[in-house]
Amino acid sequence: MLGSCLVSAIEIVDLTKDFGSIRALDLLTLNVGSGQIFGLIGPNGAGKTTTLRIVSTLLLPSSGTVKVSGLDVVRDAAEVRKIITYLPEEAGAYRNLSGWEYLEFMARFRTESKKETHEMVQEAAGICGLGERLRDRAKTYSKGMKRRLLVARALMAKPKLAILDEPTSGLDVMHSYHVREIIKRYVKEHGVTVLLSSHNMLEVEHLCDQVALVNKGKVVAEGRPQELKDKFGSANLEEVFVKVVGFA
Amino acid sequence: MLKGFGNILVKELKELMRDPKILLGMIIVPLIMFPVLGAVMSFSVESAAEQARKASVLVINNDGENSSDAFIRYLNSSVKVFVVNNTLPAEAVSSGLLSKYNTTQLIEIPAGFSANMTRHFGGDTNVTAYVKFYSVFSGAGILEGIGSSMIDDLVAGFNRYYAPNIVYTYSSSIIKGEIKEGVNPRVLSTLMLSQAIAMPITIMILLTYSMQIAATSVAMEKEEKTLETLLTLPMDRFAILMGKLSGSIVVAGIGAVTYMVGFNYYMGSFGALGSAGSNLDLVSLGLVPSLLGYVLLGISLFVTLLSALALAVILSAFAEDVRGAQSLVGYVYPFLFVPSLLLMYVDVNTLPLAFKIALYAIPYSHPIIASKAVTMGDYWTAGLGIIYVTAFTLVIMYLASRLFATEKILTMKLKFKGLRKRQKTSAEEP
Repeated sequence: MLGSCLVSAIEIVDLTKDFGSIRALDLLTLNVGSGQIFGLIGPNGAGKTTTLRIVSTLLLPSSGTVKVSGLDVVRDAAEVRKIITYLPEEAGAYRNLSGWEYLEFMARFRTESKKETHEMVQEAAGICGLGERLRDRAKTYSKGMKRRLLVARALMAKPKLAILDEPTSGLDVMHSYHVREIIKRYVKEHGVTVLLSSHNMLEVEHLCDQVALVNKGKVVAEGRPQELKDKFGSANLEEVFVKVVGFA
Repeated sequence: MLKGFGNILVKELKELMRDPKILLGMIIVPLIMFPVLGAVMSFSVESAAEQARKASVLVINNDGENSSDAFIRYLNSSVKVFVVNNTLPAEAVSSGLLSKYNTTQLIEIPAGFSANMTRHFGGDTNVTAYVKFYSVFSGAGILEGIGSSMIDDLVAGFNRYYAPNIVYTYSSSIIKGEIKEGVNPRVLSTLMLSQAIAMPITIMILLTYSMQIAATSVAMEKEEKTLETLLTLPMDRFAILMGKLSGSIVVAGIGAVTYMVGFNYYMGSFGALGSAGSNLDLVSLGLVPSLLGYVLLGISLFVTLLSALALAVILSAFAEDVRGAQSLVGYVYPFLFVPSLLLMYVDVNTLPLAFKIALYAIPYSHPIIASKAVTMGDYWTAGLGIIYVTAFTLVIMYLASRLFATEKILTMKLKFKGLRKRQKTSAEEP
């Protein structure tokens, strides 16, 4: 898998983002290889979600550059949107649409072909594993079911880059496991690059090829999970996190 | 008492009362809005009453004898009277005498009036006299009938002064510059009452509903974070805005039609009562808008609806959730309610200049003004209103589209979060 990392899926150079007087990102620099699962970890307010939102063209950088597959997220935003999918943290679905209708609605933005739309939705149905419940309205879904639906939506289009903000947030052990397996399988089968953020260190350790530890808008440590553990003499990423970020 | 109820109640009250949106929307705004609405109502009624007090009447004296002079003197004690001798009412109307004397009421004292009075007082009590009364119908609103009521009262007073039932009034209306013999102004204004009430209320409700729908739609997207997903999809962001506006228009339109059907049915029962025995046909009187009138009214309503929806979308972009969006949209409601209520009662042309300018400046007044104008065949007023509202709508639509094209649709919310963060000095993710 690492052999496919020669081409950068994401290049972030000296990225800053200010919200009024608050500096959310401070000269953040990152490079994500193609076909990788790249994890951003850090405390609340570190700048993870802001980074994901800029990469997904939702927010504009205050300065610095961000490129996705060589396309600038500001200048080529429309082109970038064609090759990415974004899953916001704690996102919902349309309450009065069924899961199936929601997936169809989303698929139609990716293709005009009815056949391809149907194939995409079938794919998503397989990913989320909701079965007949897909015919029910989303408002009747549990949080776990909703999250599985949304992860399926983000992956069904087989994007070049899937940006997943806390993909297993609020899920129980079984659902989290299921979602992680899906992500792994998709990267392997379809060469999708995944940029995700997570608070779950176990998840990051098992899922990600590469990890960046973000604190106060900067990357303070970066590497493969094993490299980071070795570097900081820690048994797991949680210990690395505590050593690097501390309790400040 | 339920266990824990008091505790929950105190918590709820604290949470609600500390929410500045609720404080503004539920307490401060009504404290301002109701006095304003009260002032509008009071002004409308006062204005109509004042008009009645200052009312003037053009009297055509085709009799020229003692009794007609006495009748004119009697009228003069209550209203300002302009007298013209020996002419026909139709000539007076066509030659613009009513405009010249700035009045909408015309009384003709026919030849033989004094002779009949003399015969009556001479013992032939079967002989009575009559005057002909004509009132200009302007589509002013609920208080339209005040002028004809005043004339009826004056004639009744004259009868009390001389002898019971000596003078009768034959009332007619002047519609769009033409005398419609036998069309009683009072009956006509009763018949037109449903229109005077129905249009402003329907427009008010249509705009209110639509704005709520649009604001809720955007706020739901923000609350559920589905908007973030939409904004990262390969699509024109203007399509999101237009989709939202169109969806709201369709739902609001269905609601408006349903409402109109129900409301017309309701008002129809009053109309039937008012027209019983009168045999008035509004179509033949020209008091139903023409096809062009309906088209202009439809365009006026559409552009106003569009501007209201776009404004609701912009306002809801400032809110974090549905409740916040609805509170923000609530601040626009006085601009919907005040023109609707005011125009139900008075004719815009009778208002003082400052009021008139303020009313014309509010885009939501224009469909109501247009509805009256097209009924009276005044297409210019409706057309100019459409041009103004269209320009206003374009500005609002441009602002709304800019909002969707940039990150502001998200950052406005983020700024609120940032503000709260600074207050709490917490370190939450922006």
